[in-house]
Amino acid sequence: MTMNAQSQADRQRDTQKPQLIAALFALLGVGILVVLVLNVGGSANINRAREAGDTGQIILEFLYSFGIIMPILMLGAGYVFVNVARKLLAKDLVTSTWATQILFWLMVFSIIGIGILLINWVGASDPESKLDVSAYPYLLIIVIIASFVFGFAWRWLSNNRNDYYEGEETLASRQSVLAWNLLLPTVLVLILIAARPLERTFIASLTDQVFAASDEDVTEFVGFQNYARLLGFRIDVMDCERDGTGGCIVDTDGEYDYMRPRDVLGDDYRDLRYRSAREYSIGESQVVLSVRDRDFFNAIENTMFFAFVTVIAELILGMIIALTVNSNFRGRGIMRAAMLVPWAVPTVISARLWEVMLLDNRAGVINDVLYHLGLGAGNTAWLANSDTQIWSLIFVDVWKTTPFMALLLLAGLQTIPSDIYEAADVDGAGKIRQFFSMTLPMLRPTIAIALVFRTLDAIRAFDVFDVLVGRQLQSIATYNQFVLVNEQEFGYASAVGVTIFVIILIFTIIYVKALGVETE
Amino acid sequence: MYKNPMVERLQKIGFWLLVGAIFIFTMFPFYWAFVGSLKPEQEIQSPPASYIPQNFTFDNYSGEFLDSVTGETKPKGVFTQPEFLRGLMNSAVVSGVTVVLALVAGSFAAYALGRLKFRGRTLMLYLVLAMTMFPLISILSGLFAITRELGVFGSLTSLIITYPIFTLPFTVWVLVSFFRGLPVELEQSAQVDGATPFETFYRILLPLTAPALVTTGLLAFIGAWNEYLLASTFASINVNARTVPVVIANFSGSVPRQEPVAEILAATVVVTIPLIILVLIFQRRIVEGLTAGAVKG
Repeated sequence: MTMNAQSQADRQRDTQKPQLIAALFALLGVGILVVLVLNVGGSANINRAREAGDTGQIILEFLYSFGIIMPILMLGAGYVFVNVARKLLAKDLVTSTWATQILFWLMVFSIIGIGILLINWVGASDPESKLDVSAYPYLLIIVIIASFVFGFAWRWLSNNRNDYYEGEETLASRQSVLAWNLLLPTVLVLILIAARPLERTFIASLTDQVFAASDEDVTEFVGFQNYARLLGFRIDVMDCERDGTGGCIVDTDGEYDYMRPRDVLGDDYRDLRYRSAREYSIGESQVVLSVRDRDFFNAIENTMFFAFVTVIAELILGMIIALTVNSNFRGRGIMRAAMLVPWAVPTVISARLWEVMLLDNRAGVINDVLYHLGLGAGNTAWLANSDTQIWSLIFVDVWKTTPFMALLLLAGLQTIPSDIYEAADVDGAGKIRQFFSMTLPMLRPTIAIALVFRTLDAIRAFDVFDVLVGRQLQSIATYNQFVLVNEQEFGYASAVGVTIFVIILIFTIIYVKALGVETE
Repeated sequence: MYKNPMVERLQKIGFWLLVGAIFIFTMFPFYWAFVGSLKPEQEIQSPPASYIPQNFTFDNYSGEFLDSVTGETKPKGVFTQPEFLRGLMNSAVVSGVTVVLALVAGSFAAYALGRLKFRGRTLMLYLVLAMTMFPLISILSGLFAITRELGVFGSLTSLIITYPIFTLPFTVWVLVSFFRGLPVELEQSAQVDGATPFETFYRILLPLTAPALVTTGLLAFIGAWNEYLLASTFASINVNARTVPVVIANFSGSVPRQEPVAEILAATVVVTIPLIILVLIFQRRIVEGLTAGAVKG
């Protein structure tokens, strides 16, 4: 009986602990919200915008300094913590398990925080460092205390959970806790390195920020102006130049001369920097497509053409190769290795290799071989000549990726049982018929996935364009980098980036719908 | 079915011809690079192309040249170029660290997504899939700003913190299908023995996926090694932080004012040979890993 009385007394003394822990969570929850409000309210930029009464500027400064994701996450965290506090007071066992985990991670992050503060503090003694460490001693003390508090609470909770809290802990809830623990690093990467930059890019695309801004240049919220400049286009119909009698003037080539939009459409056209991109002549009129960013228009054309041709070529060639290699033969391993090498070698290196092989005199292998075959004089300037440029790029990409496609298709082919072919042979079906009626349908999922990945890769093509043709022929990816790094137009480059994202999203959706790709 | 032996013979010859053609198609550029790296610069740049070196030389790897301006003999060749060697080191460091991080985080996540049941599992799977299709170029400006603010722009750290964007989802995706392929009985018998879910993961399932980890690590390593967009945007400003792809793209050679075609080829050979060896050894594993997502998933 003494034992029971003793532990009962212990327990009565310790009813404070659960309440303290619940209080801790409530404090954390409210504390996060308070920190958020203080930061926003105290932000110099936001206050300045508020004084100016400029609503657009207020929104911009808020989004700039805080974004959308972080505030939402902080609000969510605050709400969750307060909820946890509530449920702990109600003695829920499952919540206490989650609370234990949360305290554990809070302790870990506090310790990491101590480490970072210390490293920065030491680094700040370097005369070159511009870091302001006057607040560091206080921050350090706060974080150290926090880590101890979290640590003690965590230890106590994990040891005494079952005594103080009531409820059922099921396998499902244990799995859930473990799962989210395991997913934590991935989620962090997702938020910090993927979601926030994307958000940042999108927000920046709504501004006119440039990098080399002087102090007087204030970044302004310009709405969709960047997109208008990027995607703006117009279609006009031009009349031919007429002579005195009202008929069309015929020029030295025997064709009509048409009026130019620049001369006819006036200031609107010129101020917005429209330039004609495509012209279609129909009799006495000419339809003119003008765009505001002709470089981007060209980049899109180049990229789409490149993607279309490479994907189809790689699919067909890859299929042929896969069918050929789809049998057991000696040296199969070496063949597979040989087919993997173009994929494994960095695109940049392959590009430079081909650059050497495409030299414009007979020192270049391609020219030399063609010369020996009697096809050409051996002096084609593959990379400088604007007619052959895109085909050179396509060729290099096909060289690099076809083997890889072949391997993918091969793996799919090998899941098809061979007996059905034997049965078809007995039935008298020819090889070609077998291919189209049996092989292709069974390969559909593999082909679908290969198509999706290849198309998306082709649209994003950067390496081949950058190394082989540089600024002469741009893909949308190299154009994006060009605007960002060379022209230092941060806002505009971000708009380009978002546009590329949307293009890819559209293609993905089309593919998923059309091909019925399953992702269970 | 009876086949005319003549036809069979022809088919066989045709088959081997095709195989040979494919082999030449994929490997010829490397033969050219190898052969070219052993030629002096003169020979490479003068037509017509020679398929076997006529003036055999190791100069492009490690040799000397006479500087016409100062009259001194200076070292020449890829192994004497500190920027090339530094590029190799940088690439090794960045790729190595990135792969380790991706394998650790990725195997954890793959186990959770592949074997555990919990609310939000489907959402996370879709998110990971979406991240594998994510166009890096679209967030280039955002990453640019963030690396500048963190003060890591122009250093290898900028690459180490940004590479997980593509190495991690890819690793998770490939490992998920491997984890799914393991028999359920393993976990059930472990549960009967009283193991917690984490113990089941750590002691039983993880060792079984060791070969998958090797494969995935290799694929991730190749992906990180070949990465050019981020490396050229963030780290190329600082010559000390360039990785191999950037170095080779900008290779200007030892001899000033001369396009170093032969040296480029030598650099290519140095970088490619280890890759070829790796691929030769691991080719079966690599194909399995790459097609795991495509065929089964």
